[in-house]
Amino acid sequence: MKKVIRLVNVQIWAMLANMLSVGDLKKKKVNVIYAGIVLFTVVLGGTLCYYAYFVGSILKAYNSIEVLPSLFMAFACIMVLFTTLYKVKGTLFGFKDFDLLMSMPVSNGKIVASRIMLLYVLNFVFVFITMGAVTVVYGILARPGLIFYLFNFLAVFLLPLIPIIIASVLGTILSFISIRLKYSNIIYIVLVFLLVLVWMFLPFSIDTNEALAEASKAMADRINTIYPLAGLYSKAVTQGNIMSMIIFAAVSILAFMLFTWGIGKIFVKLNTEVMTGSYKAAYKLGELNISSPLMALYKKEFKRYFASPVYVLNTGFGMALLLILTVCLPFIDMRDLMGDVQLAVSLKEFVPLIILFCMATTCTTMASVSMEGKNLWILKSIPVSAKTIFASKILVNLTLLSPSVLASVIIGIILKFSFIDELLVLLLVVSFALFVPAFGLVINLSFPNLTWTNETVVVKQSTASVISIFSCIGLVAVFYGLIKFTDNFYTGALLFICLIWILNIIIYKVLTEKGVNKFIKL
Amino acid sequence: MLQIVNFSKTYKGGKRAVDGLSLEVNSGDIFGFIGHNGAGKTTTIRAIAGVLNFEEGDILIDGVSIKRDPVYCKKVTAYIPDNPDLYEHLSGIAYLNFIGDIYEVEKSDRRHLIEKYADAFELTSNLGDSISSYSHGMKQKLAIISALIHSPKLLVLDEPFVGLDPKAAHTLKGIMAQMCKNGSAIFFSTHVLEVAEKLCNRIGIIKNGKLVAYGPTQEVTGDSSLEDVFMELVETKQP
Repeated sequence: MKKVIRLVNVQIWAMLANMLSVGDLKKKKVNVIYAGIVLFTVVLGGTLCYYAYFVGSILKAYNSIEVLPSLFMAFACIMVLFTTLYKVKGTLFGFKDFDLLMSMPVSNGKIVASRIMLLYVLNFVFVFITMGAVTVVYGILARPGLIFYLFNFLAVFLLPLIPIIIASVLGTILSFISIRLKYSNIIYIVLVFLLVLVWMFLPFSIDTNEALAEASKAMADRINTIYPLAGLYSKAVTQGNIMSMIIFAAVSILAFMLFTWGIGKIFVKLNTEVMTGSYKAAYKLGELNISSPLMALYKKEFKRYFASPVYVLNTGFGMALLLILTVCLPFIDMRDLMGDVQLAVSLKEFVPLIILFCMATTCTTMASVSMEGKNLWILKSIPVSAKTIFASKILVNLTLLSPSVLASVIIGIILKFSFIDELLVLLLVVSFALFVPAFGLVINLSFPNLTWTNETVVVKQSTASVISIFSCIGLVAVFYGLIKFTDNFYTGALLFICLIWILNIIIYKVLTEKGVNKFIKL
Repeated sequence: MLQIVNFSKTYKGGKRAVDGLSLEVNSGDIFGFIGHNGAGKTTTIRAIAGVLNFEEGDILIDGVSIKRDPVYCKKVTAYIPDNPDLYEHLSGIAYLNFIGDIYEVEKSDRRHLIEKYADAFELTSNLGDSISSYSHGMKQKLAIISALIHSPKLLVLDEPFVGLDPKAAHTLKGIMAQMCKNGSAIFFSTHVLEVAEKLCNRIGIIKNGKLVAYGPTQEVTGDSSLEDVFMELVETKQP
């Protein structure tokens, strides 16, 4: 057990160091990590408390407050399921320090346990904050007895186990299916996309016209039916049912132990297959396609992007969703989809908001320099200027953002936007499309991480990716704020376009001057 | 072909890896750069290749400063690092074609040169496979082929023989000799002193960032072997 804890400890600190783009963890930098964790906890915990109080107050008014813990438990489980599904390849399979770990005098079982524990610890932080928030709010609103706090405290440690198992099993099956096929990464990406989409669109089958309290109750009932452990948890914490708590704990722990044992059996085999790929040694030299240096870099960058499932799944989901929405639009009622949102925003405000939000999540350049990792020497030694390299990275991001232009035109036609509205939406989309890649690149050059061992850290947890995504989403919020502040869609949109163009000029100037110097010094 | 003028490099934290290094490599030279671990060989090589940024001194390739026109310098240079981390998501042929595109190698020459060098290093049948499936030696061979297909005027190699099988090492030595006959210059680091002694017409020995011996191999070694000279130099305490 000591070795497992030591391995988890090393991996967590390495991950935290990677997240903050620092190599050796000196005391000052350790303090930065602590400060970051505290800030993250406070912001997330505060937001969740606010949200729990909002929902809890309504539930209390309808005498359904006992639903609140199960709703948040379900929310935490779904988040664990999604985030683990993304992380399975890269944490459990296909991680870069596999060779180093396997060469250590530690049993396979302990290595597997350390990798699963790593997934557990990563998820536990989120579950702890979520359930902490709901415990506080439920305590205030429902005034439960001591047994609620005791059972909820125990349940927090058990909650992540089953979602981790489900996501890991699904992730493992997807890895197994995909590695046997030629374009394994693409197939893995598509399979995960499909799974997440099915999960996302499932709630739409629930009647959303009910009042929030009734809907929440109906949702909790449905969750209990789909996921019986949620029912056990609910009974245990809200009714103080000891038997439910014991069954909940026993099922979670036994399933986790069984899963760890099972995965240990295929760990080495699957990792070997995931990491080596196919090997034929039967190539005959044929015709070669010639490209310009920029096009060659662009093609290389594009292939690099699609070779990393975690990169695609985290930066391509917005555009995939937008495309699906565009294709489905003729068959769905937009006002139904908007639900309660339609009271606050009009359709012509809602459409660009959705498109801009999807674009904000499609920033590939936030990690494109870091993703070079140990390959950076190639880019630095070839006879191509830094500006051309930047252009190739921006072009890939622009290509991935291009469906937003198409979507804005098609949505405008379907929803019968006026010419002016359509033009404005297009201008918004094009301006923002030019901003996102250049901004991401500047941020990545400012916070590069070239020593990563796990792509997930660069794509999801690095300083550059957090700053880029939150800034881009923040700008979408600014767009909404401008519309509300001016009380006029046209004035707000035009002000936003002006703001983006000012930012674009600054960003491109920074990129071509300071950005080039930063790249040279990498 | 290569002129290093008073080049120095100090890393963050104050470590002076290279201190006032000056040397010259002419067309037709095979220059062996020798030194103990941490002497400053890789730092110098990375600076020549344009991979490492530096402030003090200058490096001229084909008469052009790498600081002033890095793209030209890189165009006529090929660099092979000691540990060739290549794009694992590409196949061998896709990587070679990528390099061909970047160096704008003509279509007709490209096919011929890839075929010639891939055959020489017995890698042709593996070119369709993903680089991720290659062994260390195969990656090293691919890096060497990629360096040769654009016919560089200056070939810079860091420990090129590490990881190569004896046949591939022999092939590389033959190609290096042929390149020099054709007017190219080669600058390489090695710990294998016998290879340096046999292959190089000029040698430089670096110790703690400073050049302690430099010149034609015969002049540096005199009546002793290169190994004896090297051991004597590295064991002598600097004032």
